[in-house]
Amino acid sequence: MTVPRWLDERLALERFRAKYLGKPFPVHSTFFLGEIALFCFVILVATGLYLALFYEPSAQLLQGHGAVPAAYASTLLIDSHPFGALMRRIHHWTAHLMIAAVVLHLLRIYFTASYRKPREVNWLLGLGLLGATLAASFAGYLLPFDQFSVTATAIGYGIARSVPWVGSTLADLVFAGQFPSSATVPRFFAYHVVWAPLALAGLIAGHLVIVLKQKHTEMRRAGAQPEAAEGAYIHGIPLWPEQVALMGVLFLVMLGVLAALAAFLPVHPSAFYGPPQPVTPEVKPDWYLLWVYGALRLIPGGLSFKLFGATIGSEVFGAMLVPGILSLVIVLVPWLDRGPSSLFYTEPPMASPLRLALGLATITLFLALSLAGFGAELGLSVPVLWVITVVAPVAVGWAAHALARGRLGPLGGAPG
Amino acid sequence: MDRRRFANWSLKAGIVAAIAALLPGVVTLRGRSRTSATRGVEPGDRLVFALGGNAGEVITEGSFTQNEAVLAYPEGKSDNHENLAMVCKLDPARVQPPTDMAGTAHGIVAYSAICTHLGCTVRFSEEPMEQAPFPHIHCPCHGAMFDPQHGSTVLGGPAPRPLPQLPIKLNAKGEVIVAGPFSAPIGVKA
Repeated sequence: MTVPRWLDERLALERFRAKYLGKPFPVHSTFFLGEIALFCFVILVATGLYLALFYEPSAQLLQGHGAVPAAYASTLLIDSHPFGALMRRIHHWTAHLMIAAVVLHLLRIYFTASYRKPREVNWLLGLGLLGATLAASFAGYLLPFDQFSVTATAIGYGIARSVPWVGSTLADLVFAGQFPSSATVPRFFAYHVVWAPLALAGLIAGHLVIVLKQKHTEMRRAGAQPEAAEGAYIHGIPLWPEQVALMGVLFLVMLGVLAALAAFLPVHPSAFYGPPQPVTPEVKPDWYLLWVYGALRLIPGGLSFKLFGATIGSEVFGAMLVPGILSLVIVLVPWLDRGPSSLFYTEPPMASPLRLALGLATITLFLALSLAGFGAELGLSVPVLWVITVVAPVAVGWAAHALARGRLGPLGGAPG
Repeated sequence: MDRRRFANWSLKAGIVAAIAALLPGVVTLRGRSRTSATRGVEPGDRLVFALGGNAGEVITEGSFTQNEAVLAYPEGKSDNHENLAMVCKLDPARVQPPTDMAGTAHGIVAYSAICTHLGCTVRFSEEPMEQAPFPHIHCPCHGAMFDPQHGSTVLGGPAPRPLPQLPIKLNAKGEVIVAGPFSAPIGVKA
């Protein structure tokens, strides 16, 4: 009796195979973005498991080692191991790639209107995944406890403190008291290695189960059946073996690229940044938070006013209202777009000029705010940056709208 | 009340009670710093260098030249980040109100070094900058600028209020001594 047969008699593997391994996966290059994010999570967990063996979550100053904090010392220890620095860099690069993949995945869903009924729930779960990914990155940023990471976390602490009315309490709850102090590192270690990965794993599981249940969308092909037709089905390659083979190739290519990046580009060199000091270095946030940084630089301090005893300052506008309103609009996208729902098919990005225009305008706004983060280096004054921030998104949105209408209007293909 | 409704209500009451029981736990998430009660700055504290080879040494009038500034802590209180101060030596004739003039000595003025925008450590400008005349204090994070000759009023950028001033005086040995508390709350305040 063979092992598969023995297992099948007990676990009914054949039934599992028939039911799930033949699931069709529509193929398009952009349909792999979510998988890239998923594989990033796997690589992050794997490298993180290694890093956690050596990392010491403590800000306590070591005596006799130049009085550096234990967390910083353990980071340098990891870097000194054979492959240790490589592991840490792969971890860091993969975090960047994961955020990029999640954002691009979000854009793919948006521009193909794949958030419409019945996929609103997965839109929300996906945004939750984006939030959890950013939270995990922010918490992880502090852990090397070099001067760079402490500065970044201190700004996060300042933003939390500036929340009207509840700021100090909120900052104390999240950062375990005043930052910098000794309590924040163990707290952020817990966020980074327990809470965030658990949240991500749970959200990923929900996200995937819903995709399995609702099926993946596909591009509408010429001569495609109406989805309501009897016996209509999703076209794609079966999960086993074709899709699994593609996934395997993708995973290995990713691992190779990330290892090459880590080998040749030393991301976040803690030894170079040095241990935390009371002086703040010239820092810019990572690319995915540059837009908040730009908004913070754009909004003048003179704008602040008092409201019920709290000061509503520029940081409330830059770090809370602007990101908050943008996030809220993104969350509400499935309810703002009242277009027809489709169970099977994606919609071409050009089909709705308004959606295309708003999407590209929003991307342009993010880019313009990020550009504002480099205003001083580019020699652009704050008023000029304001003009760019307002004009560029409007211009891009208008151009996209005109383009989509011009292309599709005469064909009668698109409404409004 | 029939049994079904009773079961329904007790289930809901149980859930509410369980959540309510968790709330006191949320409060414990607040600080649990292991460093013993960190002390604030007090009148009579001597200011010492916060950085560099002479960190921990007392700052005296002769420690720096005009238009220079150093980061300082009150002696023995460097574990409390909010104590970090920037001691500037300026042209005495040009230090004007709204600076608290009684809290300055021979052009030496001290301010909190923690930016009122988002809490970065501010810098004394090493050279004139286009946006603000020398000397000024600026924040490397989001570009806030302060005028140390006029009570660190905001010259530009996103800071909502001036850096709090730390009144100082000189003792007989020329050491810089704290003369009173910071003039306003430190760092970010909502």
